[in-house]
This record gives sequence, structure tokens and C-alpha cells, in this order.
Amino acid sequence: MTKILLIDDEPDILRVLSMSLKADGYEVFTALGGKEGLKLFEREAPSIILTDIRMPGMDGLEVLRRIKECRADTEVIIITGHGDIDSAIEALQFGASDFINKPVRDEALSIALKRAHEKLKIRSQLKDYTNDLETMCEIATEEFERKSNFQAKLIRSSNDGIVATDEDWNIVIINPGAQKIFGYSRADTAGKTDIRALFPKQAIDILEENARHPDSVEEIPWQEMNIISKSGESIPVRFSGATLREKNQMIGSVAFFQDLREIKRLEKELVNSERLAAIGQTVAGMAHCIKNILHGFKGGSYLVDIGIDKNNTDKLKNGWQMIQRTIARTSDLVLDLLSYSKEREVEYEPCRPNEIADDVCELLKENANDYDIEIRKQFSPDIGEIRLDPRILHRGLLNLVSNAIDACIFDDGLQKSHHVKVATALDEDQRIRFEIIDNGSGMDKDVKEKLFTSFFSTKGPKGTGLGLLVTRKLIEEHRGTIEFESEEGEGTRFIIRLPYEMTNRE
Amino acid sequence: MGKTVLVVDDDPDVRLFNTTVCEENGYTPIEAANGEEGLAILKDKKPDLVILDVLMPKQSGIRLYRELKTSKALKDIRVIILSGIAKKTFLRSQKALTEFGGDEIPEPEIYLEKPVEPEELAEVLKKVLGE
Repeated sequence: MTKILLIDDEPDILRVLSMSLKADGYEVFTALGGKEGLKLFEREAPSIILTDIRMPGMDGLEVLRRIKECRADTEVIIITGHGDIDSAIEALQFGASDFINKPVRDEALSIALKRAHEKLKIRSQLKDYTNDLETMCEIATEEFERKSNFQAKLIRSSNDGIVATDEDWNIVIINPGAQKIFGYSRADTAGKTDIRALFPKQAIDILEENARHPDSVEEIPWQEMNIISKSGESIPVRFSGATLREKNQMIGSVAFFQDLREIKRLEKELVNSERLAAIGQTVAGMAHCIKNILHGFKGGSYLVDIGIDKNNTDKLKNGWQMIQRTIARTSDLVLDLLSYSKEREVEYEPCRPNEIADDVCELLKENANDYDIEIRKQFSPDIGEIRLDPRILHRGLLNLVSNAIDACIFDDGLQKSHHVKVATALDEDQRIRFEIIDNGSGMDKDVKEKLFTSFFSTKGPKGTGLGLLVTRKLIEEHRGTIEFESEEGEGTRFIIRLPYEMTNRE
Repeated sequence: MGKTVLVVDDDPDVRLFNTTVCEENGYTPIEAANGEEGLAILKDKKPDLVILDVLMPKQSGIRLYRELKTSKALKDIRVIILSGIAKKTFLRSQKALTEFGGDEIPEPEIYLEKPVEPEELAEVLKKVLGE
């Protein structure tokens, strides 16, 4: 029920109005003066007040002022007499919601009350709406803060370095990960530094290129590069990044860096331990080789001793030959070691590669024939005289062809008829190609892996474990390549490619 | 005529050394240049002792030793292994072959690593052939 307070100094008017309003369903309070009215107002807090403007003591305007001071949302309707238009206007200025003239007619009163009601209703709706809005706004703000907090923490706690910029490449976020890699603190950079002064050129080029092409992929694939930290240290990192766009407009960029120092350190350690293992194998291989050589010397001197003791020339001769052969073996090993460890200038001179290949085949033919191994030659007639280093070629072919023969000797496939094919051909890019193909034992995975990496021999006492390494080293010094394919039990194919020069005559 | 000793080694210098030591100590040496040849001679001539190398073409000493020790007719022939390969490497490869499905075979009673002194080899020969 709406409370109405009536203030008038005329008891009759109060009575009549009060009856009529009660009949309309209001709870009515009455007061015969301003002061009494204000007391009731304070006690009952009515939402509508009807007050006469002219009253002894406190007049209606004063009542209005005090009420509005106290509760501005109270509807105050002023009752005015004839010729009180000035006071009425003043009352409106003070915030009265309406005025009605005396004598108060029911019709005018009900219109004024209806208006007052509407105003109250709208005001209350507005208030509810505003309250709602404020609550919603608070909830939204909280949610937003929570999310942005979460993201900030996410960025802060990332192990990767994250650097975000505005559209002018100025840093707005540099997380602890990035600070650690670059060695700059947040205070050093945020809002001031242009990333173009911080990132390597490679990364800037990528980002700028990405920014220039709004259609390009937004994410840049990871790639390795080095950044220079504050202290001038070059730090290996993996970099990725993206330009941030809104409606095709660049609004900033973000870059991600992964510190690779630890990984690189571990890689280095691995290489070192592999090198140590290789040295260990070298020493073991050399010891084996030297054991065999010692055996040769001991055997030789034993025979010589017997020859001298018994005056037996045959024994003496055999012993001396054994010693000579062992000296040759020693010299092979020492020369292999030397040529493996020493740099040698490549000496180009005119030569005929087919003739060199033929020499090598003839040299090894006798040994191959002993084991029923056929040597097949397939030399390209297009190869005439050209310029390359004939010593390197001879040394390489000799090594590979005798390896191929050994692979046939060592092969368990007893029913096979073994052969070694030596082929020459001209290749593109001014290169000459040599192929050495055998159908011998082939190599298993283990042998293939160890082939070039360590001093490794499958030949026991006969191998220095250096031959192939020397060959590869010489060929690489000649800026050539060596590659192979091999199938266990099927055979092996080695391919050498060497660059050559034309001779002046051609 | 002394006892016969088969010398199996692909290195002619080693064969010459071994046969000389045999001759000097009163034994009759026979030579074979690889495992395949060696096995044929073993079956044919039944020598009293074999001096066997390990790394050889056409059947290695690892295989020949295995065939010898698993053959009823040949398993009592005495064997001296003389190799540049360390004893433990030889044993490891035998163990692998056994695990791969081969028969359990005894370790060689004498294993010499190159280089060997002629006196040492002569002593071992005498010991094994019981003189």
C-alpha cells in the first residue's frame, strides 16, 4: 500500500482529502503544519507528499526543500492557491513533481497522483536497472581480471621466452624466460625498446616479412638462430613468432624463444664422449695391428737364428724375407697413419684416369685370381686426358678395389662365383665417377655405421683400420665425394666422384 | 716319424713360423691357409694337434673350432689357438653361437695371443702332446 503524507493548516481540507485518498486505497498520514509533517515524513517515509504552499510557521517550499535534501526520490506535490503561480514555479525549480490548485478537485488530484506514481515506478525501475548494470559490470570486471591474471601468470611462468610488442615494434611484454635469455630486465625494456634493437636481424626479417603480407600464415615455424644477450654473449635459440592482427590490421607481434644452451652443451658432451670412444678403438686397433707386426718380426728373427745356427741358407733366406715383409707392413701402417693425420696439397696434373684404374686392376689381379675372383673392367671411352691428382685417385682406387677383393675372400657364400667390377664414367658438373662393385660379403648395419667413424677393421691382422679413412680424407681434400651402398650377403658398391679440369690440349 | 701338427693360418709368414717351430722340435707339420682347407685335412689326415688362427677367410677359426669339437670323429684332436684376437673376444663369439642354438662346446685348452715366443710355443707343444 502506498503511503501518502498530507500537510495542510486547514483541518477540513485534510479531512476531505484524506477520506478521498483512503477510498482510493492509500495509507494516509496527515499533519497540520510543516514541522509536524517533517516528523511524520521521517517516521513513515511516505513515497508521495501533498503539501499546501502557504502555511504558518514552516511553509510548503521549506518542507519541499528539506524533504528533497533528505530523500530526493520522494514525490512532492504542491497545493497552491490563486495567484500563487510564482511560488509554484519556484517549487518546481526545487524539485516538486507537480502542483495542483485550490480548491483541490478530485480529477486534478488523481492526474497528479498518477503522474507521481509513474515517476516513482520509472525511478524504481531505473534504480533496479542501474543496480543490475552495476552488478553485471562488477562480475564482468572480475571475470576479466581473473582471465587476464591467468594469462599474465601463464606468460610469466612459461619456460620459453615470450616478447610481445605493439604495432610499432615496441616491447609491451617481456616475460622472465625472455629476460633470462636476453639478460635484460623488464625495467630495461618495457615500453621503451624497439625489438629491432634486441632481436637478431634474421628474426626481424621474418617478422617484418610476415607483417607485410597480411594473408600469410600467422604462425612462423620454429627455426634455430643465435641472439646476442645484453652482456654480448651469443646464445643459441629456437625462434618462432607471429604478428598479431585485428581485421587485417597489425596490432602487435609476439616472439617465442627457446634457450638451446643446455641442449647444445649436451650435444657437445656427446660428441666428446664419442670422440673418446673412437680414440679408445683406435688404440685397441693399433695394438692389434702392432701385435701382428711383432709376431712377424719374432718369427723372422727366429728363422734367421736357426739359419745361422744350422748354417741353413734356406731358413736364413725365409727368415730375412719374413722380416722384410714385416718391415713393409710396418711402413704401410706408418704411412697410413701419416697420410691420415697430415694435410696434403692436392696436385692437379694431366693424367688418364682409365689408365690409372687399369693399373690398379692389374696390380691386384694376381691376388684376386688366387681366390678365383674375376676382375671386370668397364671404362668409359669418353674419358681422355684430364687434370686431377693422380696419386689421390690411385691411392683411393687401390684401397677400394682391394677392399672389394677382401669382401669376396671373406664371403661365406661358397657357391657364388665372385667378381669385382671397376667402372669409370663422366658425370655431370665436370666430375668423373668411379664405381667399385663386388658381390662379396656385404656389410651388416653395425659395420656400415662404423665404416667411416672410427679406426675400424673387419680384416683382423691384415687391416690397419685406416685405409678407408685415408681414402675418404684424400677424396674430400680433392673436393670429391665418396658414398656406398651395401647389402649383407649380396655385396657392396662404392662410388667416388672427383672434380677435374680440362687439359690445355682439349 | 714324429706326431703330426696341422697349422691353419691365412698369413703365410705365421704358417712358416709355426711349421718351423714344429720341425725344430721334431714334429711333422701340415699347412692349411683357411678353415675350409683345414677341415678337409683334419678329416683326411687326423693330425695329433691343430694350431689354429681365428680370423681367416673361407670359414674362420671360430667355426672350425666349433665343427671340430662337435664332430665325434674329430673332437679328441688337441687344439692350440694362436691368434691376434684376445681370448675373451673368442669366448664371447663362441658363447653367442651357443646361445644362437649351437651345442655347448668346451673352451680351448690352450689359447695363445700373438706375438708368441718360439720357446713358448715349443713348450706348449711338448706339454699338450705329452713329452
